[in-house]
Parts: sequence; structure tokens; C-alpha cells
Amino acid sequence: MSVSLQTVRDQAWQAFEAGALPTTRDEDWKYTDLSRISALLGEQWWQAAAATEIDVAGFAIPNLDAYHMIFVNGRFDAEASDLPAAITVTSLASLIQDEPDKTVELMAYHADAPLSSSLTAANSALAADGACICIAANTRLDRPLRILHINDGGTSHLRTGIEIGEHAELEIIEHFSGKHETSGLTNSVTAIRLAAGGRCTHYRLQLEAAKQCHNGRVEIKQSRDSAYLLHAVELGGLLSRCDVISKLDEPGASCELNGLFVASNRQHIDHHTRIEHNAPHCISRENYRSVLDGRSHGVFNGKIVVGVGAVKTDSAQNNANLLLSANAEIDTKPELEIYNDDVKCAHGVTVGQLDKNQLFYLKSRGISEEEARQMLTFAFADEILAKMGSQPVRRFIERAAFAKLPLITDLEGMLV
Amino acid sequence: MMIKIENLHASVDGKAILKGINLTIGAGEVHAIMGPNGSGKSTLSNIIAGRDGYTVTKGSITYKGKNLLEMSPEQRSWEGIFLAFQYPVEIPGVNNTYLLKAGVNAKRKHQGLQELDAMEFLQIVREKAKLVELDQSFLSRGVNEGFSGGEKKRNEIFQMAVLEPSLALLDETDSGLDIDALRIVANGVNHLRSKERSVVMVTHYQRLLDYIQPDVVHVLMDGKILKTGGKELALELEERGYDWVRQEAAA
Repeated sequence: MSVSLQTVRDQAWQAFEAGALPTTRDEDWKYTDLSRISALLGEQWWQAAAATEIDVAGFAIPNLDAYHMIFVNGRFDAEASDLPAAITVTSLASLIQDEPDKTVELMAYHADAPLSSSLTAANSALAADGACICIAANTRLDRPLRILHINDGGTSHLRTGIEIGEHAELEIIEHFSGKHETSGLTNSVTAIRLAAGGRCTHYRLQLEAAKQCHNGRVEIKQSRDSAYLLHAVELGGLLSRCDVISKLDEPGASCELNGLFVASNRQHIDHHTRIEHNAPHCISRENYRSVLDGRSHGVFNGKIVVGVGAVKTDSAQNNANLLLSANAEIDTKPELEIYNDDVKCAHGVTVGQLDKNQLFYLKSRGISEEEARQMLTFAFADEILAKMGSQPVRRFIERAAFAKLPLITDLEGMLV
Repeated sequence: MMIKIENLHASVDGKAILKGINLTIGAGEVHAIMGPNGSGKSTLSNIIAGRDGYTVTKGSITYKGKNLLEMSPEQRSWEGIFLAFQYPVEIPGVNNTYLLKAGVNAKRKHQGLQELDAMEFLQIVREKAKLVELDQSFLSRGVNEGFSGGEKKRNEIFQMAVLEPSLALLDETDSGLDIDALRIVANGVNHLRSKERSVVMVTHYQRLLDYIQPDVVHVLMDGKILKTGGKELALELEERGYDWVRQEAAA
């Protein structure tokens, strides 16, 4: 017997009302204090913001040839968007209206899902819009699809579902941005399902306005031989948290998670990732870096769970952090849970300053101490961005990221 | 005179490594410094280039009439000192050409010259890359990133050719090279020999000196220069080892 969307929503709302926001006593939220959300936005912080009009032209990614699906304060803006002709992309709002049953599974809230919190419950209960994307088997969209979320103050709950059929391919760019001066909350859940042999390249670009809070959740479920590639970039916002949960459920599936935080002032950025190896012969790669300036605070928690049957697992995780200021802080924790012997799991963490040998090498070539520091800082962060296949996205992020670091004065020269 | 080292004593972590080096090198001369492992050869070249971690406890280094030990590594580079590293560092993400352009222009600025524009610079770089048979594709790669041992050493000589130093220190540039790579590296160095440029080759092996003929050969042992001679001294060392030098010095 199938349940109605309304039932799903009601259950999520009850779960939300019954449970409080997680506190720093909760291990998964030890370093990220969500009480700041209600302090900034009031007791009714979860109420969705009113619709506004905004000029979307200021949020372009130069030279990017893509389809655009644009949301302003959580509402789909059809006029500003440019969607592919084939009906593969619809807004969640119209899907709810026309075929609510189709959204039941997407909107479901599971309290016992890993890293699930009452923010997830609020999203399930309240998300009014988002993107629903279905790529049929053996096809691919001829251009990348950018989903632009402009948040202009207040709260928005966004729900995005992506289904990639057998051997289908999609390149998707989730771009969160804003220019407002007031506080707000973006509460976004993205669920991605990859059928056998499906491939997805996912850019998740968090460039929110300075006072915005951001809570994201990305859940990826992968079938046999599918491949998922994430480039997660965290530049904006006051308090930002993202949970990435990748489930390698069938043999031969692979995922690669690349992450870069560049934080300054009092920014707080937290990523919790969880990669589940649930089948044999799956591959995971994870590479996260942060550059922290001012009084910023970074958190990285990378959990890798290798199940009993997941023999021949090949997993490697690395997290490197560069602290540019004595007041910047990073809390990093790799966690491995391995339940069989036939696996290859490598992991490494570094926290530190620039490499002395590299500094001397540059100086011995006539480069001043200050310029050498610039070059090495740039290089440290750019190694992650160099993994991006899209040159326009990479350039856009490089410019946005390094504009935050006053240290970097010759960015255009380094972008050769 | 290019450089004059007088009674140089230096230590690392409180341990004395150099114990009174005296060495004078004239403009245009090529000197070889040979010696067994741990004799202080690399320490000497690192101190001349200005690497941290060494304490000069006594003595002086005068370079082109100036007190070298007061200069930062980058100032030394602007004044014409170049160290070809024994173990060149990989710097992924810093473009080879960008590094050199920044280095050359910093030096020109120091000399009161106008900076080179991108086109002028690229021309120079292409020409010098040919000198060491370095493929053009290396120019746009990260500094030494994924280079083989031989490619790294060639890249050092290529950088030297672009930066046009007055005093080049080659720290074991020959070690680990096969014969072809050694020939290419030596060709590059020979091509750069001139009346205004001095070269110091620090090496274990005589074979490099078959390709680059030195004017003077020094034996550095136990933190001191124990013997100085012509290029025939290198052949003698190859044949007889180093112990006789120590015995002779003690006698």
C-alpha cells in the first residue's frame, strides 16, 4: 500500500516538532553550533522566506555553456531559466502539483539514515521546490545543467532529486549564491541515484552571502559500475555544513569526492562525509583541502565504512589543511570502519603551514618570501580545483576563492 | 674575483660540519669540489645559497665585494647566485614558466631594468629549453611535478640558463643520471661557460669531469679543503680513493 505525499510530509513534520536541533553534545555536531541559526533568525527560523525579484544576470559563471535552472528564495524562476527541450528536468513544485505520488520517495524522511537530523526532517516537511531530473538510459544531456539557487535573505528548503538511468551521463552544477546583507538559511537536500553504468559529475559550489547559514545534504546511491564525481567548494556563508553520504551498493561502483574550503574572518565550514562500501570491487577516492585565514574554523570528518561482503575494496582518503593565521582552526578526523580483511584503505591527514623546502626553492630562484608564500598557497588550493573538468567553473572558483585571500596579489598571472 | 670564502666554520644542530674552509674562485673559473659522503660538500653549497638551518660560527664569505652572509636567498639570486639542487623539489600547482618569469622579473626589477613581457619571456624560455633538450610541454607543467630524476636535473640546468647567474653551484647534479642525460646536462653547462660566469661542481664522481673540464679540483674532507690541484687530481682520486689525501694532510 502506498502512502500519500501528505502523509510523508506530516510524518516529517511530526519528527521535526518532536526533536530539537542537534547540539554540540551530539558527536556528529560537536564543532558546529546550530543554536546560532535560531539566534540569528528567531524561533520561527524554519519558516520559508517570501518570494522576491532579483536580477539573475549578476550570478553568471563566465564562459559556461550550460542549461540553467534558476531558483530565487527557493522558488523556481521559469522565465530566467533555460531548460533542455527534452522533458528531463522539471521543478519539484510542478511535479508535486501534477504527480504528487512520484515525489513520495524523494520526499521521504528516514530518522535512522546516517547523519540525518531535524534539519533534514524540516526539509522533508517543508520543501516546496527544487529540481527533479531524470536522464533516460543510454543518453546524456548535451550540456551541463546548472541549478542556481539565489538566496536573498530568510529561509529556503530545497529538495533536489536526480535519477540517472543505465549508462546515462549527467554533469550538474549546484550553485548557491546570494548578495543580501541580512541573515538567512539555505536548507538543501539532494538525492542522486545512479543506475548500472551511470555517470554523474557534480559540482557543488557554495558561495552564499556573508551572513547566510547553509545546511546541505547530498545522498548518492550507486548501482553496479556507476561512477560519481563530486567537486565540493565552500567559500561563502557564515555557518556552513554539508553532509555527503555515498553508498556504493553494487560491485564495480566508484566515487571520487574532492573538496576545497577557503574561509576567512569568522566563517565556519563543516563537511561530514560518509562513504559506504557495501559491495565487492568498489573504489572510493576522497581528497579534501582547506585554506583557513582570520578566525575561521574548518571541520572535516571523513568516515569510510567497509561492509562484511565488500571484499577487494580500494579506498583512499586524504585531508590537508593550511592555516594562514594563528587564530584559524581546523578539526579533522578520518574514521575507518572495516569489517573484512581483503581491502586496501589508505588515509592521511596534514595540518600545517607552507613547506619550507618549497619556500627555499622558490626564493633561491629570486622570488621574494611574500611572493613565494602566495604561489604556494595558490598551488595548495589549486591542486584540488585542477581536478575539475570544466575550465569555466574552475576559473570562476579560482577567482572567487583567491579574491578572499588578501595575500594573493597576482592571481591573473598565476592562472596561466 | 667572484667569491672568497675565508676560514668558514658552520654547524647544523650544534654539530660542527665545516671547520675552516678557505676557497677563492675567480670570474670565469670552473671548480670541482670532491669528497666522500658527509664531508660537508652539500653544506657548503647550501650556505652559499642561503638555506635555513645552518649556523655560521666563524669566518666570512665575500661575493663580488659584498658580504654574502647578510643577504636573503632571493637577494643572492638577484646578485647572480644559482644553486642547482641535489634533490629538486616538486611544487605541483606552480607553473614552471610562471616561476621563472617571476624570478627573472624580480631580478630585473632589482637591477633597475624593465620587466619582460610575456612574449619576450616565452621566446627566451623556448630557446633555453632547446639547450637542454627539454620538451616544450614541460614548460607548462608544475615545477618538477612527476618529472623523472633526469628530467629534474635537466630542469635545474634549464632554469640556470634562463636566470643567467654569475656563480652557479651544481650540487651533485650528475648523481643518478644515465649517460645520455649526463651528456645533455654537461652540454648545457658547457654552453653557459663564459669569462663572466663561474661554476662550482660538487660531486662524488670523476665521470662528470670528463664532460665538464674543471680548472681547479678541491678535496673536501672532514669539513676542510685538504688538497687542491688540477683536473688530474680527480683522476688520482678515482684511482686511489680518499684515504691517502687524509694521510698526506696529517703528515
